[in-house]
Amino acid sequence: MSHADERLEERIDRMLANDDLRGDSLYQPLEELWGAYRDLARRIERISRISDAYQSLTKENETHLAERLDKQLRQLKKVARISDHYQKMMHDLNLALREASTHDPLTGLGNRRLLLERLKEETDRSRRYSRPLSIAMLDIDHFKRVNDEHGHELGDQVLMEVSRAMDAQIRDQDLCGRWGGEEFLIILPETNIDAACLVLDRVRGAIEALNMRAGEQSVAVTASIGVAEHIGDDTYSDTINNADWALLTAKRSGRNQLTRADQATD
Amino acid sequence: MTDISIAGTQSTPEIRSNWDDGIVCLQGDSYPENSYELFNQVVEWIERYLDEAGRPLKLDLQLLYLNTSSIKAMMDIFDVLEAAHTNNKPVSVDWHYDKRNERVAELAEEFKEDCTFPFNIVGT
Repeated sequence: MSHADERLEERIDRMLANDDLRGDSLYQPLEELWGAYRDLARRIERISRISDAYQSLTKENETHLAERLDKQLRQLKKVARISDHYQKMMHDLNLALREASTHDPLTGLGNRRLLLERLKEETDRSRRYSRPLSIAMLDIDHFKRVNDEHGHELGDQVLMEVSRAMDAQIRDQDLCGRWGGEEFLIILPETNIDAACLVLDRVRGAIEALNMRAGEQSVAVTASIGVAEHIGDDTYSDTINNADWALLTAKRSGRNQLTRADQATD
Repeated sequence: MTDISIAGTQSTPEIRSNWDDGIVCLQGDSYPENSYELFNQVVEWIERYLDEAGRPLKLDLQLLYLNTSSIKAMMDIFDVLEAAHTNNKPVSVDWHYDKRNERVAELAEEFKEDCTFPFNIVGT
């Protein structure tokens, strides 16, 4: 309330308190008006008090909500971050599982599963586009003897070294893998048997040149290889059988050699 | 309060609580159909224990994979522990992981980030 109002109110209070003025015809209406005015003033004050209380409550609520929202946003970000992290872990695990399911743990080469996948793809492609495809079977000579004479550890080392030599000699588009035991399969896409022989003879030579140490002595190994060119509507099993037959011929002819299926003897 | 004893499945962790020892163990993978149902009982048990037991609480974890809703549930549990810790109640977490999988430790570190109570990440 302003200063002027206060002075007016004081004046009116004084006038109403003065009994000498009671006889005045304005006294009663003024008294009634004064009463109504005071009542109104009280009411306004009360309304503003309640309104203020509401306002501060709303404000409090807002702050509270903002805090909660803030907290939930922070939590959401954290959940998303951790969840991403878990998903990355699962993804990498999947890759590792895929690698483990398609590769030989000892040599790191593709295993029979990977070879079969590629054989199917490559024979399909070869048939569809009439492209040459050669398949070779390689077997380490007298591997059992290496194991028996020098132990399995050296046997494992031989498998690893042979794998490395083979993998280094083949071309980018070729795939070699461990077919089983000491037997390896080499797939040579877009390659006729003459060209395949050039690659495979390099492989054979590289294996022959390997020198592994077993304590004081050094161990040398050789490998026999049979190769067959994939023909028309044959299945890959047919071609593998042909390469196997050539390999058998190579073994019978004294080992450490490459034999073509089209020149293998019965 | 009855203890929780739930055998683990391929998609849910093994959950065991022990009121007398003040220990809750969770172990395994967690990607349940309804993670609220699964974890709510754990939260309730922990809240009641903290209210009534007046003894320390230890959370013994050996969790591997958690799906998103399980991550949220674990954060809720850690929030309950954090609140108890603020009220001077002794709470702690031991998160065990296989040392061959360091990434689980990294994840546990992320959970630990906002926690001020003892939170041990233990490689075995």
